[in-house]
Amino acid sequence: MSAPASPTTASRLLADLTAVVGAENVLHHRDEMLVYECDGYVIEKQAPDVVVFPTSTEHVVAIVQVCNRHDVPFVPRGAGTSLAGGTLPVGGGVMICLTRMNRVLEINTRDRYAIVEPGAVNVWLTRALAGTGVHYAPDPSSQTACTIGGNVATNAGGPHTLKYGVTVNHVRGVEIVLPDASVVQIGGVAEDDPGYDLTGLVVGSEGTFGIVTKVIVGLTRDPEGGRTLLAVFDGVASATEAVSGIIAAGIVPAALEMLDNIMVRAVEDAFHFGFPVEAGAVLIIEVDGVEAAMDREAQAISEVVQAHGGKVDKAIAWRTRKEPEYMAIWKSRKSAFGAIGRVSPTFCTQDGVVPRTALPHILRFMEGVSERLGVRIANVFHAGDGNIHPIIMFDERDPDQVQRALAASHEILDECIRLGGSVTGEHGIGVEKMAMMPKLFTPEDLAAMAAVRDAFNPDGRCSPSKLLPTGGACIERASPGRRASA
Amino acid sequence: MNPLHGNDWPDAPGAGPLGDGRFATEAVHPRTVDEVREAVTRQAEAGRAVYPQGGRTALDYGRPPGRPGAAVDVSGLNRVIDYPHADMTITVQAGMTVAALRSVLAEHRQRFLIDVPQADRATIGGVYATNASGPRRFGLGPPRDQIIGVSFVTSDGNEVKGGGRVVKNVAGYDFPKLLTGSMGTLGVVTQLTLKVRPLPEASALVWTRVPNPDRIDPLLAALDASSTRPVAIELLNPAASWIMADAAGGWSLVVGLEGADESVAWQVDRLGRELEGFEYQVHRDAEAEPLWSALIEFQAGETGALACVANLRPSRVASFVRSLDPERWAVQAHAGNGVVRMRGLGDWTEDRAAAAIDAHRATAVRDGGNLIVARCPTPWKDRLRVWGEPRADWALARKVKRALDPRGLMNPGRFVDDL
Ligand SMILES: Cc1cc2nc3c(=O)[nH]c(=O)nc-3n(C[C@H](O)[C@H](O)[C@H](O)COP(=O)(O)OP(=O)(O)OC[C@H]3O[C@@H](n4cnc5c(N)ncnc54)[C@H](O)[C@@H]3O)c2cc1C
Repeated sequence: MSAPASPTTASRLLADLTAVVGAENVLHHRDEMLVYECDGYVIEKQAPDVVVFPTSTEHVVAIVQVCNRHDVPFVPRGAGTSLAGGTLPVGGGVMICLTRMNRVLEINTRDRYAIVEPGAVNVWLTRALAGTGVHYAPDPSSQTACTIGGNVATNAGGPHTLKYGVTVNHVRGVEIVLPDASVVQIGGVAEDDPGYDLTGLVVGSEGTFGIVTKVIVGLTRDPEGGRTLLAVFDGVASATEAVSGIIAAGIVPAALEMLDNIMVRAVEDAFHFGFPVEAGAVLIIEVDGVEAAMDREAQAISEVVQAHGGKVDKAIAWRTRKEPEYMAIWKSRKSAFGAIGRVSPTFCTQDGVVPRTALPHILRFMEGVSERLGVRIANVFHAGDGNIHPIIMFDERDPDQVQRALAASHEILDECIRLGGSVTGEHGIGVEKMAMMPKLFTPEDLAAMAAVRDAFNPDGRCSPSKLLPTGGACIERASPGRRASA
Repeated sequence: MNPLHGNDWPDAPGAGPLGDGRFATEAVHPRTVDEVREAVTRQAEAGRAVYPQGGRTALDYGRPPGRPGAAVDVSGLNRVIDYPHADMTITVQAGMTVAALRSVLAEHRQRFLIDVPQADRATIGGVYATNASGPRRFGLGPPRDQIIGVSFVTSDGNEVKGGGRVVKNVAGYDFPKLLTGSMGTLGVVTQLTLKVRPLPEASALVWTRVPNPDRIDPLLAALDASSTRPVAIELLNPAASWIMADAAGGWSLVVGLEGADESVAWQVDRLGRELEGFEYQVHRDAEAEPLWSALIEFQAGETGALACVANLRPSRVASFVRSLDPERWAVQAHAGNGVVRMRGLGDWTEDRAAAAIDAHRATAVRDGGNLIVARCPTPWKDRLRVWGEPRADWALARKVKRALDPRGLMNPGRFVDDL
C-alpha cells in the first residue's frame, strides 16, 4: 500500500472524495492539516493527505471505496482526544472524521437503549437523557469533547466504571463499514443475539476493524440516592490503604478517585471547590443505590477512612446528579488535567493498572522512581479500579529531563506488568504502547489477535500500524507524551 | 486410541456421548493445560474434530456434531489459580464446577454473579461457552460483564490468552467477550478470570399474582419506573407458575430484591405500596432460597422434548408471552432483559413444532430479537433451525472463526451457520 505517489494521483483522489461528500466536507490544504496531524498524544505527528467529513453511512461506504480504488490507507477520527495516538494517519492517506455524523437517532427508555451516530459527543447523550430517569453510564473525564464513536473504539472508562463497568458493558450493537466497504449490522437492540459477541470484539478495537457508523448503547437507571464523600489523608500511603480497605470491606462504591497534594492544590487554585490544600491526599468516594441504605454505607466508609488515619471533610447527600455541590466536586475532578498546566508546562501521563490491593505498593514504587530519577510525579486517578495515571512533569527543552521522564514512565509500566496488571486501563495501545504488547502477551496471543484483525481488515488499509506490533521492530520513543488525562 | 478411519462415527458409546446420539471416537481427560494442548494437537494432526466437554449438562444444545472427533473433557482442570479476594477477582480453570466456585467464594462472603442451573455439574467453562444466565442477570449483568480474562487452546495446539487479571484493561482485542457464548467453536477454554462481588446482606422475592393478564404490561411498565431497584423481574405464565411453586396456577410476576438490610426492607415496603390491589407474598432470605432455585432450575427441567429461548425488546415481552398457548408452553421470562424461556408441554410432532416456532420466531424477530431452540429431538433440528433466523453479522462471524480455527476442527457443526 502506498500514499498517493504523484500530484496527479493525489488530485484524482481528492476529486473522487469531493465528488462523494462535496467540497464543503473536505479539507486538504497544508495549513488545514495541522489540527489533524496528531491527537491528544503529541509525540508523533503525521498529517493525512485529506480529511473528509461524511454525513451519512453511504458517504462512509463511498469514501472507503475510493480509498480502496486508490490503494491509500484511511483512519477514523472522532474528537481527537485519544491519548495513545489512535488517530495518527500512519503512512498518510485519508482521515475520515465522523464529527458531522453526530445525531442522537433514537432514545427508547423503556427498552433501555439509544441509537446514536458515532460523532455524537458523550455529554450530549447525557443531556438528551436528563430527566428521563435513565442515563448512559460511561463518563470519561473528556466527556464534554470526546465522541461516542471514539469511546466505542477505545472502550473508554471514567470515574463511574468501578460499579457500572466500561463502554463495552453498555454497547449492544454497532453498524460498521468494513474495510471492504460493506456495511454490517452487529448485535442489535435486544440482548443475547445468537452468534459470536462481535459487538464485544469491536468495542476496544481502536479503529482497526472498520468505521463505526452507528452505535446502539444500553441505558442505566439513575440511582435513587447517593453520598459523595471527600476524605482527607496526610499522605498517599494512607489514602491508598483506605482504598484497599473499602473494597476489602465488601463495599462497591460507584466511584473512588484519588488526588495527591500536587493535584489538590492545582485543582483548588483553578476551581476553588474548597479542597483542603494541606491534605497529603484526598479520596472522592461515592456510593449510590436506594436512599434508605445510603447512611449506613457512608458510615461504613467513614469508619474505614478513620481506621486509616483519614477524616471525612465533606459529605454530599444527593438524590440526583444535578445538585450543585455534586456537580462542582465532579467538575473539579474531571478538569484536574486542565489544572496541571499551572504546575508544569509539559508532562506526560501513563495509564497503568494494578490489582487494587497493590495500590499502596505502586504508589511507594512511584515515589521511589521520582526520587531516584529526580522527576516530579503527580497523581490523580481511578483508585477503585487500580487504574493509575501518574503525571510525570518535565521541561521539554531539557533533553536530560525528557530522558528521565521517559525512563520513569517505562519503570512504572514495567512494575504494573510485574504486579499482574496492564499498561493501559482505558486510553488504549494506539501507536504509543505497541512496543509494550509483547511484554503483556506471548507471540501466540499476538498472532491470534493479528489473525482476527485480518479477518476484518485483510489488506491492513484501515488504520495501519496500530495496536499490534508489526514485525520484530519495537520502536523506542524519543520523547514522552505531553498531554494527559484521566 | 480407537483406530478409526475415515469419516465414520463410532456406533458404540464406548468413548462417551458427544450429544444428539453421536459418540466420541475417543475421550481424553487432560489434567493440565499441556495435556489439553497435546490432545488437541494429536486430533488436529489426524484431521479429527475436537469436542470440548465440561459438566455435560448441555451436550444436546445446538446442532448435531458435524464430524467424528474426540471428546476433550476439561473437568480435570478444576483448580483455583488465584483468588485475591480483596481485589474482587478470581482466576479459575475452566473445568471447575459452579458449585465448587461458589463455596470457594463463600469463604470470603463473595459470590459468582451468574445464576446457573445444575450448578454441581455445570462448569465455568461451559457456562461461558453457552452464555448461560438466569433471573439475576437483570441486576447483576450477563456473563459478558463479569469476564475480564480468558485462556483457550486453539486448534493449532497453542494456548492463547486475552484480557488479564485486573478489572480494567484495554490492551489488545477483547477475547474474553469473543469467547463468551462461542459454544466451544474457537478453542478449548482452559482458564477464566472473573469479577466477583460481596454476597448481599439480605434478599427477598416478592411473588405477585396477576389475575388478569391485561394487567401484565402496565405492571411491567410501572416496575420499570419503580423507586425500587430489582435484581430480577420474572414473568411466569400459568403453567410455569404451577411448575415452580403455585399449585393454583395463574400468572405471576416475581420481583427479586437484594442488598443491605435497610435497602431490602425499604424496597419490600415500597414495592408493596406500588403493588396496591394485587395479591402478593414476600419470601425473605433463606426462606426465599427454594423459590430462587426454582426460578434458576426451570430452564433445565426434564419434562418435554421441546424448549426454546426468545430474545426481544423488553417492552414486547408481555404481548409475546401472552401469545403463547399456556396449554402448550410453560413460560418464564426474564422480563427486564427481554429473554423468554419456553418449555413445550405435552406431545409435539415435528410439524406442529415447526409451525409454532416459525410463528413465534417471526414475532420475536419483528420485536428486535430472535428465537432459538434449546432442546428438541435431533431429527427435527434442521427443520426447526435451532439457532434461529440468520443474523446480519454471521458472515463476519464465520471469518473470525476461520481466523482462529482455519480447519474447522473445534466443535464442528454445532453452532450457527456452520461456525
Ligand atoms: C483531558 C482528557 C481526559 C480524558 N479522560 C479519559 C477518561 O476518563 N477515560 C478514558 O477512557 N479516556 C479518557 N481520555 C482519552 C480519550 O478521551 C478517549 O480515548 C476517548 O474515547 C476518545 O474519543 P474521541 O472521540 O476523541 O476519539 P479519537 O481520539 O478521535 O479517536 C480515538 C480512537 O478511536 C478511533 N475511532 C474514532 N471514531 C471511530 C469510529 N467512528 N469508528 C471506528 N474507530 C473510531 C480512532 O481511529 C482512534 O483509534 C481523556 C482524554 C483527555 C484529553
